[in-house]
Amino acid sequence: MKKNNSALLSTPYILWMVAFTLIPLGVVVYYALTDPATGEFTWGNLRDLNQYWGVLGQSIGYSLVSALICLLLGYPVAYYIAHRSPTAQKMLYMLVMLPMCMSFLLRTLAWVGLLQDTGIINDFLAFIGVGRIQLIRTPGAVVLGMVYNYLPYMILPLYATIVKIDHRLVEAAEDLGCSGVQVFGRVILPLSVPGILSGITMVFVPAVSTFYISQKLGGTDTVLIGDVIERQFKQGNNPNLGAALSLVLMILVFICTGIMNRFGSDEEGGVIA
Amino acid sequence: MKKTNRIFTVLIFIFLYIPMAVLVLASFNTGKDITDFEGFTFQRYVELFQDEHLLKLLGNSLLISILASAIATVFGTVAAVGIHGLKPKMRKTVMTLTNIPMTNPDIVTGVSLSLLFVFVGTKMLGQRDSLTFWTLLIAHITFNLPYVILNVMPKLNQMDVSLTDAAMDLGCTPVPAFFRVTLHEILPGIVTGAIMAFTMSLDDFVISYFVSGLDFVTLPVEIYSYTKKPIQPRVYAMFTLLFALIFVLMLTMNLLQLRSDKNKTERRGKTITKGQRYFRRLAALVCLLALLAGTGYLAFGTRQEIITLNIYNWGQYIADGSDGSMEIVKAFEEKYPHIKVNYSTYDSNEIMYSKLSNGGITVDLIIPSDYMIARMIQEDMLLPLDFDNIPNYQYIDESFKNTAYDPENKYSVPYTWGTVGILYNTKYVDEADVTGWELLWNEKYAGKILMFGNSRDAFGIAQYLLGYDVNTTDRAELDACAEKLKEQKPVLQQYVMDEIFATMENEEAWIAPYYAGDCLVMMENNENLAFYLPEEQGFNLFIDAMCIPSCAQEKEAAELFINFLCDPEISAANMDWVGYATPISEAKQYLDPETVSDPVAYPGDETLVNGTNFTYLPEDISRYMESLFMEVRND
Amino acid sequence: MSKELIRLRDLTMEFDGERILDGINLYFNDHEFLTLLGPSGCGKTTTLRIIGGFLKPTSGTVTFDGKVINDVPPYKRQINTVFQRYALFPHLDVYDNIAFGLKVAKLSKDEIDRRVNEMLEIVSLKGYENRRIDNLSGGQQQRVAIARALVNRPKVLLLDEPLAALDLRLRKDMQNELKRIQQAMGITFIYVTHDQEEALSMSDTVVVMDKGRIQQIGRPEDIYNEPKNAFVADFIGESNILDGVMLADYKVRFFGRTFECVDSGFAPNEPVDVVIRPEDIDIVPPSEGHLVGTVTSVTFKGLNYDIIVEFKGFKWLIQTTDFHAAGSTIGIRLNPEDIHIMHKSDYSGMFGDYSSYSAEYDELTEDAGDEEE
Repeated sequence: MKKNNSALLSTPYILWMVAFTLIPLGVVVYYALTDPATGEFTWGNLRDLNQYWGVLGQSIGYSLVSALICLLLGYPVAYYIAHRSPTAQKMLYMLVMLPMCMSFLLRTLAWVGLLQDTGIINDFLAFIGVGRIQLIRTPGAVVLGMVYNYLPYMILPLYATIVKIDHRLVEAAEDLGCSGVQVFGRVILPLSVPGILSGITMVFVPAVSTFYISQKLGGTDTVLIGDVIERQFKQGNNPNLGAALSLVLMILVFICTGIMNRFGSDEEGGVIA
Repeated sequence: MKKTNRIFTVLIFIFLYIPMAVLVLASFNTGKDITDFEGFTFQRYVELFQDEHLLKLLGNSLLISILASAIATVFGTVAAVGIHGLKPKMRKTVMTLTNIPMTNPDIVTGVSLSLLFVFVGTKMLGQRDSLTFWTLLIAHITFNLPYVILNVMPKLNQMDVSLTDAAMDLGCTPVPAFFRVTLHEILPGIVTGAIMAFTMSLDDFVISYFVSGLDFVTLPVEIYSYTKKPIQPRVYAMFTLLFALIFVLMLTMNLLQLRSDKNKTERRGKTITKGQRYFRRLAALVCLLALLAGTGYLAFGTRQEIITLNIYNWGQYIADGSDGSMEIVKAFEEKYPHIKVNYSTYDSNEIMYSKLSNGGITVDLIIPSDYMIARMIQEDMLLPLDFDNIPNYQYIDESFKNTAYDPENKYSVPYTWGTVGILYNTKYVDEADVTGWELLWNEKYAGKILMFGNSRDAFGIAQYLLGYDVNTTDRAELDACAEKLKEQKPVLQQYVMDEIFATMENEEAWIAPYYAGDCLVMMENNENLAFYLPEEQGFNLFIDAMCIPSCAQEKEAAELFINFLCDPEISAANMDWVGYATPISEAKQYLDPETVSDPVAYPGDETLVNGTNFTYLPEDISRYMESLFMEVRND
Repeated sequence: MSKELIRLRDLTMEFDGERILDGINLYFNDHEFLTLLGPSGCGKTTTLRIIGGFLKPTSGTVTFDGKVINDVPPYKRQINTVFQRYALFPHLDVYDNIAFGLKVAKLSKDEIDRRVNEMLEIVSLKGYENRRIDNLSGGQQQRVAIARALVNRPKVLLLDEPLAALDLRLRKDMQNELKRIQQAMGITFIYVTHDQEEALSMSDTVVVMDKGRIQQIGRPEDIYNEPKNAFVADFIGESNILDGVMLADYKVRFFGRTFECVDSGFAPNEPVDVVIRPEDIDIVPPSEGHLVGTVTSVTFKGLNYDIIVEFKGFKWLIQTTDFHAAGSTIGIRLNPEDIHIMHKSDYSGMFGDYSSYSAEYDELTEDAGDEEE
């Protein structure tokens, strides 16, 4: 066909991506199916996964809760930004982006400083006579950390979707007798579904795999699948079990994004731009 | 409705920026702790620019992100043009492939790439060094590419196809047509893609954490290990500067874009394409910088006459020049100018062991503990030392020779020794409760107790408490220990290693078992802290010794370094800061007499008889213990 | 006339198994204004793109000046194109857009300056050199596109629906302008449009296409007056197309009546399509009419009335300057030269009855708004 020549330009890229995304996933499968000591084929690692279903369930729970909270917090903000003047939109968009560019380790650490028993918030509470309360090392703190870190991932796709909604549709709905609330429920909300789905995916995926947030803000109970994988590689010296766990995580995420894509129209690239 | 929405939005923005404000504030704090603002100072910024180590890490991070984003931008743009020309079905497949790194969790991407590099490099090609600068660069390019492509593709799709046709119609061959026309049309996408790739690369922690070796470490990975120790306020200063830089960068970009938008609607003159020219200049500048950085690195990296000595040591385990101490590494480099030290840290024997046995890195010198040395000897992971290069070995006290872990004195030279006891805060902990290891199970202090985050030390405490042999190979006993440790979990604040410094010093936690030398350091920083050794129940008496792992490439230089550290004067200067006990009696004359007589640092023989050494555990027992410990923690 | 410049031989074109062009044979003369006319999807733009070199035909040859140029890329052809929606480079101003081809050809600065200014003069855009493209009106953009193509002094200029984006008034002006420029430059214009009026008023030769095939080639008058089949008759102007039988030369029978006509050369009793243009029909009192029918609707069109008249259940469109109320009975007369006879074709029976008058009208206007491919 007419563009045959330019199509050849994609060949090196395809080779690169196969070499550094597909093949590594194959290596993960290989490790997951071999014995750490002998290097022989085994189902052992997959059998060992049995003790981690609880951890996996907990990770999914935390991330889903965080994604929903992000949605509730992010939607009004995205809606607000989308209805500013173009200049204001650009500035606000940048302000949402900016935290994403800064070291998330340090920002999480700042939360530790805020939440810990001897931290800024508790110092303040003690000062006004309320007394110190347990903030850090609670499930709430982990959810807070996730919401804080991944909220921009929710706001940006939501904004991108809402800003594209034709204002004439709102007028048409009003013309047909919808009240403000009805306009929102019957027109705006259904039209922002793609943004909602992509936002949920974008929050859920990093949240379900995080290990730093739970290590820093969680207690001894808040062990997430990411922690377990990190520990298998960095301390437990069992990359094979780690690979098996990564495999589970990957399958989980692919199922999730698959479901999301099924419900939403898959606009390529809409999520980030 | 609108008003509440506005207030809500403002609140969310405050929420997003509070932690940043805390960090910025902390960079001007005279105090070290993030939570107490003691006074205003610029000192942290001065320190930052004097800290070569930190600046080098920042340089590393900038180098890798500029190179990776520049390569990904060019590569990705070319690829996008190619993908655009593919048939729809194939295009869809390729876009799915592109989306894999985007949808896959970072941890999976990191794990899979590190496994690939180790598998190919170490297992297939037999390289020692399979995790290098280059593999890190490959990883960064790989996760940068989708950002470029996903930003360029929509621009290509939007572009009027007949524009390229028009250029060819007017005499351009395809390549010039691309540069004269297509490039201009998709440039905004390329610039956005490049900037996103750059910031993602600069801030990436998870993937780099898994993929980087020891010779080339980026800032976020180092910050991760920093955050375990009391974090140096100069890191906040760096954060503040980076924040300001990125803020200004984004602001200028936005303003430029706004201005060029305005130009579009208002301008009539010849200077119409100013906005785009700025873009072009920016892009050219970024490319140029990348090129310079790249060639600079290559020029630097290929300078052969300099030997790089890779040392992998515990955190906080060598005098680093702070608090008026001697900077040991620098002193060594001054004495041997042809050797450059590359220093990285771990915080437990197990982490070090994992890193080495996973392969893919080069390390010339490590300082493991006794039982780990035994294990590594057993597994052929250490090289016999050439004692001709270590004449200072003569200063090592006889009592530290012919040890159980290295009976023939072939593989190790003792570095420090010490005990493991309990550090507690006298302000909160009732002396009456300080009766033995059971203090760590005391519900009265629930939520304020820390515990070792490594299996051997944690099981050791349970074994002393239950009266078992710490070197047992009896699985039933280990099971019982695991039960005991599970029992402890509800009262624990967290499992830690070096995080203990920060948490104990700022009194976030009150009770923790740790190594005596480090306890001394903490006690110096917080006078409420005290050290207790449960003599009746028994305690661990450990020796950490310098060894050369089998992956070493600069054995001779490593031996020089060992020799240097065994110089009594150097050892004294080092131990003065580290807080641990020196195995070199000659050194004691240079130390503060008060330290030498301190029973925490140098317990008397009558105490020492109650201590036991950890010795070698067979491979299967170590694995069993580790898996039990994982189970305890994941329970 | 002048010599042959381009010839298309047995051109076929397939995209993904779908046949877009089906055996096109066509030649273009030097200095000619030739129009490819047809509805969307008829293959006219594809033909143009093959001539321009942007597409390679599946089979068949394109010769230019006697040489086969199938494999010559567009940048080596002495042919330039004015694109649909112009394809002006948004990052360049008017001057640089026009100078683009000259700069690529590495002409001297003075030469470029001279030729660009000359072109600006021809397209009446002097003083607009430094304008940004998006600050130009549609008509100005159009002229820049023409100037950009012509400045390279091509032997052939391809124009792909160049006026489609302009409003009616401007379109009329530009038609004249284009014709003037073509005559001034003295080169071949190959023009693609779906607008029959545009085609008829500008061209030396019109090629009517449908479904990848050429339906008819001829001068505008011939195409209009002697359509070759029902498709052409319907596409060019309004037509009443009836089933008839050619009894003998100059004798045709339809509607149960035998009429005299001017056509001959058909087989005896051959079934044919009869075309009667609405404006050719004379209205007479019912008593004098060859046929008598009832007016079912009247639409005022400015110059004339369009009336729909029912004859024995078949609806005709008749254009008349006199008003006839709906419901009134009228007679019509047909002169021999008003009756055009065509052989039966694939299109027979598809057009002609105006009972679906409004629907067809809609379709036409829709077509006009459509951009091809």
